[in-house]
Amino acid sequence: MATSKKVITRDEWEKKLNAVKLRKEDMNTLVMNFLVTEGFVEAADKFQRESGTKQIDLATITDRMAVKKAVQNGNVEDAIEKVNDLNPEILDTNPELFFHLQQQRLIELIRQGKTEEALEFAQEELAPRGEENQAFLQELEKTVALLVFEDASNCPVKDLLDISHRLKTASEVNAAILTSQSHEKDPKLPSLLKMLIWAQNQLDEKAVYPHINDLSTGQLETLSE
Amino acid sequence: MPTSSSSSSSFSSAASSSGNRQADVFSRLASSDPEVKLKALREVKNQIIGNRTKKLSFLKLGAVPAIASALSDSECNSILVQSAAALGSFACGFEAGVQAVLDAGVFPLLLRLLTSSDEKVVDAGARSLRMIFQSNQAPKYDFLQEKNMKFLFSLLNSENENVSGLGASIIAHACGTTVQQQVLCDAGVLEKLVILLDGSLSQREACLESLATVLKNNPEAVSRFVGLEAGRYLSSVTELTKDRYPRTRLLSCLCLVVIYNTSPSYFLNMGTKSSLVTTLLELLNDHGQSGDDAALGLSSLIAEKEDLQKLAYEANAIKNIVDILKTGSELHPKRLQGLFLSLAELCSKLEDCRCSFLSLEMLDLLVNALRHKNADVRTAACICFRNAARSVKNLSAGRFTNDHVMLPLVQLLHDPSSSVEVAVLGALSNIVLDFSSPKSTFIEYGGIKQLIELSKSMDPNARCSALRALRNLMFLADNKRKELFYSEVKAQGFVSLISDPEPTVQEQALALLRNLVDGCINSIEFVFDEDGLILDTVGKQLRKSPQAHMAIQGMYVLTNVASGTELHKEAVMQQLFPQPQAESNNFMLKFLQSHESQLRSATVWTIINLISPSSPGAHDRHVKLRDEGIIPQLKNMVNDACLDVKIRIRTVLSQSMSFGDN
Repeated sequence: MATSKKVITRDEWEKKLNAVKLRKEDMNTLVMNFLVTEGFVEAADKFQRESGTKQIDLATITDRMAVKKAVQNGNVEDAIEKVNDLNPEILDTNPELFFHLQQQRLIELIRQGKTEEALEFAQEELAPRGEENQAFLQELEKTVALLVFEDASNCPVKDLLDISHRLKTASEVNAAILTSQSHEKDPKLPSLLKMLIWAQNQLDEKAVYPHINDLSTGQLETLSE
Repeated sequence: MPTSSSSSSSFSSAASSSGNRQADVFSRLASSDPEVKLKALREVKNQIIGNRTKKLSFLKLGAVPAIASALSDSECNSILVQSAAALGSFACGFEAGVQAVLDAGVFPLLLRLLTSSDEKVVDAGARSLRMIFQSNQAPKYDFLQEKNMKFLFSLLNSENENVSGLGASIIAHACGTTVQQQVLCDAGVLEKLVILLDGSLSQREACLESLATVLKNNPEAVSRFVGLEAGRYLSSVTELTKDRYPRTRLLSCLCLVVIYNTSPSYFLNMGTKSSLVTTLLELLNDHGQSGDDAALGLSSLIAEKEDLQKLAYEANAIKNIVDILKTGSELHPKRLQGLFLSLAELCSKLEDCRCSFLSLEMLDLLVNALRHKNADVRTAACICFRNAARSVKNLSAGRFTNDHVMLPLVQLLHDPSSSVEVAVLGALSNIVLDFSSPKSTFIEYGGIKQLIELSKSMDPNARCSALRALRNLMFLADNKRKELFYSEVKAQGFVSLISDPEPTVQEQALALLRNLVDGCINSIEFVFDEDGLILDTVGKQLRKSPQAHMAIQGMYVLTNVASGTELHKEAVMQQLFPQPQAESNNFMLKFLQSHESQLRSATVWTIINLISPSSPGAHDRHVKLRDEGIIPQLKNMVNDACLDVKIRIRTVLSQSMSFGDN
């Protein structure tokens, strides 16, 4: 029951694309939004000078990036101090984030092999989080399980020791700071690209036309059917 | 210093070393060396932020007064910032902390910081003050004083978003009365607040909260708000219900709920109502405070509004709420209260909702809620029971009258909280109407005695509710049950109930009596106990020009008594026309001329029973009624506006004609 799809040639397609009007300012804003949200301070600065696109105070990006970097490097205590200097309300009003930061601190202590200190920390800092909020108990148990195994890097919960967990925590802090500064936590560019792919998938059901398959180049490729 | 004796050595050393560390940093707070002091302040601040346990232990050490003196004595900006931040953290969502901070006299110190030249100092001061104003313990802000109003507006006008947010927070938490709302509106606060809607996230949220407070139950304020720039800001708030941030969505919804409850005419559009309901339903799934507030907001929105209840039902509200309740994790009492109240509202008028709700195996959860430690939750669960029991189908299926449900309900009759008492009485009132089983679990649990106890409560609401439950219990009850009840009350007890100082209580007592004497002829004998004490009291009350609602029940008592034997009918005549009569105190005539059709109807019924032709003395009673002007009055009422009354009057007049009189 194949209904014949409409076929659009490369020429026709390119004509259609060229007919769409985009403002340069909008594109610049998109790029700037990406650079700022992801924290590329120097690039944002340079871009601003070259394109004249407005952006926010660079100092706040710098502060935010310092926090993110600290977590990525495993210096969680330092990160916490920096967040509190930036805005003491963030951790006071975000129990989940605070728990994850404490959790990351414990993971770092275990990674460094400081078992005694880790035990002490677990009892003094993490256990109360579980008491204050039952929702954290499950994750707490998982984390404390790391202490039980002789070789933590080979136990069932070894994923917690993975560097990716640091990145996850770093990203969470970044998002919280952005929210507190009333910025969007996600840059718009990736969402637009996702929409592009979705739109192509939708159109695939109705037509044959040149796709963009490689997002990094944006090259149009004709499908041979 | 807490050390556990039974835990392993490393754990006990952890506890003692942490205690040591805390004591150490605490002592450094008092250092005269500013560098040391600053470092200690930062340390305390970083330890307590996000950490309720640490806040408590530092509180116990006396950290707050120590930090307060650092704040008052120092000129150094860094010390001011750190101490303000630490104090703000103590006050953040921690009532004991707020109290300690206020007790230490921190409030004026923080106010001073707002005028600093250093932006960071101002930020720290404003943030901390905002934390204090989130609590009920915050000092009452007197808007009526000129200088306070000026100060408030200086805050709202500030460029600094923490400061303007503080201004909005003060309004949100301190504005309570209509007078305050009026004064604020007259000073132009609405115009200032709406500017914040276009500001940063925290400004928007503070604005929405304060708008809700200023507009609540104040139609003038609402119309003023809607009138600003031809409704632009109402649209903005409506738009914000679709905002990316859940808390913004919640606060804008709550704002709209306030406006809707105050002036529903601004919400003629069904679409807005519908999306308001669905947005609140979505927000119920939020794990944090927004979800708690959404539950209460939803119950407030759909309260008494059948159309919105239907919308919510169609949007699958019942299943969603039940799923949340069944998740098993401990929910915040506020959320539980809101969820149960929402369910109660949904079941208040719609039978579909009740059946749907009861089919979801909810009773266990509801019964557990009856034992919750928070009184508001218990109350809400009772109200839920009350409304669900309005379903005759489920009631007669015995869903509510088994031990599992009945026992905890009866136990609540002793609850220390009066709101729980009244609520459980409401639930029981409905549940005792179950006619499906001749035995009543309620009575077996000693329910009657407890209700009679409560009918003597200090609280008139409790008395009224207890009597209503008894009234329902006696409705179509068999003799055994009536005897059981009467033996606990006796004639004197009834006299006290009927003579209660509160008219609403009197009304329920008479209604109870009406049900008691209804039914078989033997039941009528109750009013003749102890020389007709009860009947005399009823007559006395009726002669006192009572309110219509009371009079209706009183006349129905007489109607029921007059349906009995000759002796009974004569006794009623005695009450209607006592001898000797000093003046013509004919309350029957007054009742027949009442605006209340039910009262007219009840009075006519009494007459019907008095002159029903089958009894021997009917003729003489008819003569008396005629002579007292009652029959002529009825002749004037042949075209009574109420159909029921009209029909009864026709009955009387045809009876009258059968006596051969015009």
